[in-house]
Amino acid sequence: MTGRIELPQGTLDLLVLRTLLSGPQHGWAISERVQQVSSEVLSIQQGSLYPALHRLERRGWIKARWGTSDNNRRAKYYELTRSGAKQLESETAAWRKLSLAIEQILEGA
Amino acid sequence: MLDDLRFRARSLFQRNKVERDLDEELHFHFDREVQKYIGRGMSQEQARRAARMAFGGHEQVKEDCREARGTGFIELTLDDAKYAVRQLVGNPTFSIVMILTLALSIGANSAIFSVINGVLLKRLPYEQPERLVRLFLSNPTYPKFPLNPWDFLDFRARNHSFESIAAFTRGDVQISGDGEPAKLNGFRITSGYFRVLGLRPELGREFDYQAEIPGNGLRVILSDRIWRTRFGSDPNIIGRKITLNMQPFTVIGVMPAGTEHPGNEYHSVAYGESVDVWWPFSFAGNSTQRGSHFIEGIGRLKSGVTAEGARAEMNSIMAQLGREHPDGDAGWSVLVVPLYAEVVGTARQMLLVLLGAVGIVLLIACANAANLLMARASARQREIAVRLAMGAPRLRVVRQLLTESLIISCAGGTLGLLIAFAGVRALVMLLPADFPRANDIHVSWPVLLFTLGVSLATGILFGLAPALQASRTDPKDGLQKSARGTTSSRHQNRLRSALVVAEVGLASVLLIGAGLMLRTFLNLIHLDPGFKQDHLLTATLSLPRAQYKSGEQTARFYSDLVAKLNATPGVESAGAGSDLPWTGYDENTGFTIEGKKPRPGEDFHARYHMATPGYFTAMGIPLIAGRSFTDADKKDAQPTVIINHAMAATYWPGQDVVGKRMSFADNPTKDSDWLRIVGVVGDVKDRPNSPGAEPAFWWPENQAPQPEMSIAIRTRSDPRQAIDELRQAVRQLDPGLAVADVKLMDEVAVSSVSTPRFTFALVSLFAGLAIILAAIGAYGVISYTVGQRASEFGLRVALGAQRGDLLRMVLAQCAKLAVPGTILGVILALSLSRVVRGLIYQVSPADPVVITAVVALVLFVAMLASYVPARRAAGADPMTTLRTE
Repeated sequence: MTGRIELPQGTLDLLVLRTLLSGPQHGWAISERVQQVSSEVLSIQQGSLYPALHRLERRGWIKARWGTSDNNRRAKYYELTRSGAKQLESETAAWRKLSLAIEQILEGA
Repeated sequence: MLDDLRFRARSLFQRNKVERDLDEELHFHFDREVQKYIGRGMSQEQARRAARMAFGGHEQVKEDCREARGTGFIELTLDDAKYAVRQLVGNPTFSIVMILTLALSIGANSAIFSVINGVLLKRLPYEQPERLVRLFLSNPTYPKFPLNPWDFLDFRARNHSFESIAAFTRGDVQISGDGEPAKLNGFRITSGYFRVLGLRPELGREFDYQAEIPGNGLRVILSDRIWRTRFGSDPNIIGRKITLNMQPFTVIGVMPAGTEHPGNEYHSVAYGESVDVWWPFSFAGNSTQRGSHFIEGIGRLKSGVTAEGARAEMNSIMAQLGREHPDGDAGWSVLVVPLYAEVVGTARQMLLVLLGAVGIVLLIACANAANLLMARASARQREIAVRLAMGAPRLRVVRQLLTESLIISCAGGTLGLLIAFAGVRALVMLLPADFPRANDIHVSWPVLLFTLGVSLATGILFGLAPALQASRTDPKDGLQKSARGTTSSRHQNRLRSALVVAEVGLASVLLIGAGLMLRTFLNLIHLDPGFKQDHLLTATLSLPRAQYKSGEQTARFYSDLVAKLNATPGVESAGAGSDLPWTGYDENTGFTIEGKKPRPGEDFHARYHMATPGYFTAMGIPLIAGRSFTDADKKDAQPTVIINHAMAATYWPGQDVVGKRMSFADNPTKDSDWLRIVGVVGDVKDRPNSPGAEPAFWWPENQAPQPEMSIAIRTRSDPRQAIDELRQAVRQLDPGLAVADVKLMDEVAVSSVSTPRFTFALVSLFAGLAIILAAIGAYGVISYTVGQRASEFGLRVALGAQRGDLLRMVLAQCAKLAVPGTILGVILALSLSRVVRGLIYQVSPADPVVITAVVALVLFVAMLASYVPARRAAGADPMTTLRTE
């Protein structure tokens, strides 16, 4: 549990979209993957993951379809749409800019 | 954007599927999580537990997902509504009482609002009706008087305030030739009458100025109804000659359906599509004769001119006329009354009082509903506490409870609308015949909107306080206490008691109002009208001047008719008179009294009538002194006159007036200039509730023949049987005559009190509703507190209290609500006395009988309402109490 930090506001969408860039995934896999890739530093509250998925679906950035999971159960897979990919690009750029700026301030101080 | 909408719509309409999917998705996640933990070596049990911890509230996640789908609000509302309906169905007595009381109150409000909307709010059916005004003359003796035709012509020529003005006067006609002869409601109008109203004929045209010249008047404009019913909608009617009053009239126009009569004062005809024909008013005679007043003015103000401005100008014209014609025109001023005020004037106050009364009923119903809701909310404390403990936000609980009260109020409103539909029909039937714009009263769109608005407002009004209060429930307290019966805070008890006090107070106000209306009504029906209404049949006849050219012919017709009727078996007496009581007859004249000079500023005047022998006996008007008319009062005999008691008392106070003489000549010299008073009859007031009778006298019909007469027939048995005999007698004398306005005087008497009866009936209905609601409220609170104090009562019994003591305790608690409520009501009623003063007759707004009776009734009803719970308290079983404690 140590070393985990809560996701900053507004970054959840970015992480979900980025995770889906490598292919369709179901919700549980998305949260696991974020945790793994971030070396267990970031954890997604499951309470916020699903509302986020539904919100992204409503906005048309991801779309959902039912598929079969690796353990042969019906699972809901989300995949990135074209507009989702574009959104990911712009959000990534925005995030880079933001973290760079924060970095500079921290360095300069 | 479109995708977004589609997504939301799918979420909403395929809600079940979407919900199932969500469930499955979340379960899948949960199971994977469990597997993950098991994979790390946890036991099944531990793994499930850890997963649940990580997952958080399943329901909360679902809720958030719904929110994220953008359909949260609607879904939540649907959920709330479903839940509320389940609650209501599960508690049918509560729901039925709430919905029914609200339905009655909202229905009554909608019905009264329908009347208000039709009569007061709906625009008059003319173009720019706000610019229409009515013109009257006024002087200290006659505050509202018709115009003189020559004055009217001068007004028309000299004014700058009006776009156009016109005059009209009642002129019924008898139609013959096409089917049965019939009397039609007619008006004689000047050119431009319809232009003033902003109405155009659907066929033909309106009269031009030529038609006003004597000799050009044989033209007529028909109403749509007459054109359809009498002339089969003949498209070639224009130019056709029809027979009116035995003369050939040329049809020059047909007015469209919906041409409404703007109402009139003098020989008035009801509002609405009540006029059948219009024919030209002719300006005949000598234009210096300004003394007779019988036409009514109507005008359309120029834009930007106010009624006040027009009045100032008309008064300066009147002042000029007064200088030009000092005999007839001096001393008059002009009234300019907006048409709207003229039409609805008398009805307005009554309707507003009714609206107030019915509004009070609604307030009481709201207080009642709030009370019942609060009682139930405390019974539901446990449920609410559980919801709060489960993490439901307070707002959510308030929302839930408000949804419930809105569902109740809207159900009540819907049911109320049905009541309103039936109620409006009943109201219109009950309305006095001469009620303005009764034909415009319907349940219409504004009424539907009003009902919706009232329902929502009511739901929020009675739901908000209980909902807020319930949401303040402390989950811990709620859960603990509810294990042992229901409780509620002192604060809540106080609020509920205050509501009952207010209910009782408002109900008392309405009851006092109803009591005053009842006394008014009783006073009116017990008034001595001055004549006998029973066994009396009346009708009117009008002899066409074209056929009855001389006074002798007219007089002979009526004397023959009366003789024939008197010879009919079953007829006790019959006679004819120029008018009947209570019909608004208002013909006045000045005169000279032998040996008496008027004081400066005084002018001898009285109402004049004509009568045949037998008229007074038939009407049942008592002869106080002298004699009645006989056949000896002929044309060339000594001119005679019979006066009423009021005239004798006004002009010959304390004297024996029989044998005194009066005259209508300016300088009576000859013996034949003088009329001898031969009799004095009892007074008949203008209206049943007029403060006193006007001075009046009668000429014998033989000496002052009048072609339009009313027939009065007093019968031994049912006067209806005389209808055929009257028609037959008229037909034998002149087959071309129409017998019109056949009425039983009993019915006329009944309709003369229809306005006070209407007000009384409605206010009583509302007061009845109010007191029942207040009783329900009191019952609710008392039985609730009795329930709360059950154990206390049990203990008291165990400690030796008598049953009677407990009964008294509960009744005393009820008195604590009822007494302040009644006092409040009486104070409120007294402060409102100004409002009802115009609607009551010969009873003070602070009538002690009414107030005492209401106080007694309210206290009695309150005691009755608390008697059942009091009995329950008295029956408290100490053993039960001790066991539960």
